[in-house]
Amino acid sequence: MPAIETTALTKRYGEDILAVDGLDLTVEEGEIFGFLGPNGAGKSTTINMLLDFVRPSEGRATVLGYDAQDETGAIRERIGVLPEGATLYERLTAREHVEWVADTKRSTTDVDAILDRVGILEDADRAAGGFSKGMRQRLGLGMALVGDPDLLILDEPSSGLDPNGIQDMRQLLREEAESGTTVFFSSHILSEVEAVCDRVGIMNQGRLVALDSIATLRDEATGEATIEVELASPADPESLAVDSIDGVRGATVEDGAVTAVCETPGVKVDVVRHLDQRATVTDILSSDTSLEELFNQYTGETDALPGDEVGTPDDARDREPEVIA
Amino acid sequence: MSVVSVAKRDFLDVRRAKLVWAPVALYVVFMLLFYWGQSNSSNPDFYAVMFSLATVGGVLLVPLVALVAAYLSIAGERESGSIRYQLSLPVSRTDVVLGKLLARTGVVAAALLAAFAIGIVAAWILVPEMTVEYGDYTAFVGLTLLYASAYVAVAVAISAATSSRSRAMSSAIGFFFVFNIVWNFLPVGPTYMAEFVFEELGIGYADEHLQFIFSLSPTGAYLNGLGLAFPETAFGGQVAAGVDPFYVQDWFMLVILAGWVVVPLALGIWQFRRADLG
Repeated sequence: MPAIETTALTKRYGEDILAVDGLDLTVEEGEIFGFLGPNGAGKSTTINMLLDFVRPSEGRATVLGYDAQDETGAIRERIGVLPEGATLYERLTAREHVEWVADTKRSTTDVDAILDRVGILEDADRAAGGFSKGMRQRLGLGMALVGDPDLLILDEPSSGLDPNGIQDMRQLLREEAESGTTVFFSSHILSEVEAVCDRVGIMNQGRLVALDSIATLRDEATGEATIEVELASPADPESLAVDSIDGVRGATVEDGAVTAVCETPGVKVDVVRHLDQRATVTDILSSDTSLEELFNQYTGETDALPGDEVGTPDDARDREPEVIA
Repeated sequence: MSVVSVAKRDFLDVRRAKLVWAPVALYVVFMLLFYWGQSNSSNPDFYAVMFSLATVGGVLLVPLVALVAAYLSIAGERESGSIRYQLSLPVSRTDVVLGKLLARTGVVAAALLAAFAIGIVAAWILVPEMTVEYGDYTAFVGLTLLYASAYVAVAVAISAATSSRSRAMSSAIGFFFVFNIVWNFLPVGPTYMAEFVFEELGIGYADEHLQFIFSLSPTGAYLNGLGLAFPETAFGGQVAAGVDPFYVQDWFMLVILAGWVVVPLALGIWQFRRADLG
């Protein structure tokens, strides 16, 4: 029995907006599945349909073998959820949050152990209203772990976490997976998930555009390669004629630095030889298709990753008072 | 029970909200004023205090207490997204609405009971020579609590049926305006309209028909049900008991108030169950 299975799952808002378009997705029991895509790709809508917050326009979904629309009670008893961007109860303490979840799930969870696991035991008796974004995320994750669920559904679990927190979260997800829990989580940042996922699915504009392990995806992505060559002195782009080399898709020359995008990694050598004959090469910087580029390739993004808010002033302020336990 | 788990958490949360307590404080202040007023009278009358509590308190303050305590109960959680934490747990949407009703009714009832208890202490201290009619006072408190519950149910239902704070607020204010001010106190209310229509069409009608229309709002039912708490002489009128049709009798006002608990809630639950909480 798959942990999650969707069949032609579709969500339309009004006439024009197709948030999720005929999604067929199967997440096997026990795997860590990364659900990727830029913001607005339909990830959250999909998760909301799995949790019966939003009703599909067409198609159906099952979670742990139960129908996502008709058997929500049975599902909710067996899963742990970290909803995206959801506010906690400002006036309740961290401990009260976890106690409430345990109470509702009729689980005899050791509340302190949970809080300790997510690193906020020291703040257990503070009201969540005073928590930083990272601490809220940790508490939300702790609430999801209550009652040892069979399936964790985490919507953007790393949002608001600092690198240290992301590290802790990955560790936690691995531990959960080792104990047999299926982990399904979404992210818009590929590099955050590659280290931990067994498989990833990439959503774009409501459709699943890729579904495989990261290694396979990397192989399948066309092997574009970039090389950057630094020259001893600024050179005239015309005289270098890097564009004339076979297999070079494009090149830029800026002061003494030449950047060439090559069709295959082998072309990089030709670029270096070519330049060496015409100028003095002082340094070479070579890179293969980065995960980011791979991701962009699938999602058709050319700029920096969309919605990547890490580092905005707002976020930094939010995170400042965080205590890393 | 999932309903109880929802209610427990909500009660814990909402009783720490200062905004909820502000109208209650106002209610207490008014109550103290009424007792103080009687302490300056040469012939203090407990029923005069109860009458002020029923009119000023009942028409304006009790609805305010109840609406403020409950209008954000669900819409607020939808707007902030915390409803998604709630509904990730094994509770149904119906459980959420009923749990909210339980918690908010509990908060309002506790607040009003505290206020009424303070009132009695105030009576002892401010007007020691006045006779407190404990039996009628208890009936009055009971009727007021049922009335408050009807308003809480309406507010929870509005909250379940709306998706944002602003809509919940405007709907709550709209309800108060239409089913309280307009219905029972403005000369454009349905009682007047019915009278006008009956006259125009030449349909025969009796006073109790208009009374019944007046009683169909929670406030109308509450005011017309006050006979349960006041002796007939208190209003100075002669009521010929037994000849009125059942639908304008005091006890039927309790049925109408109970209807104001059940019907709005059913509609609220129906609307909430089919909503997309995206």
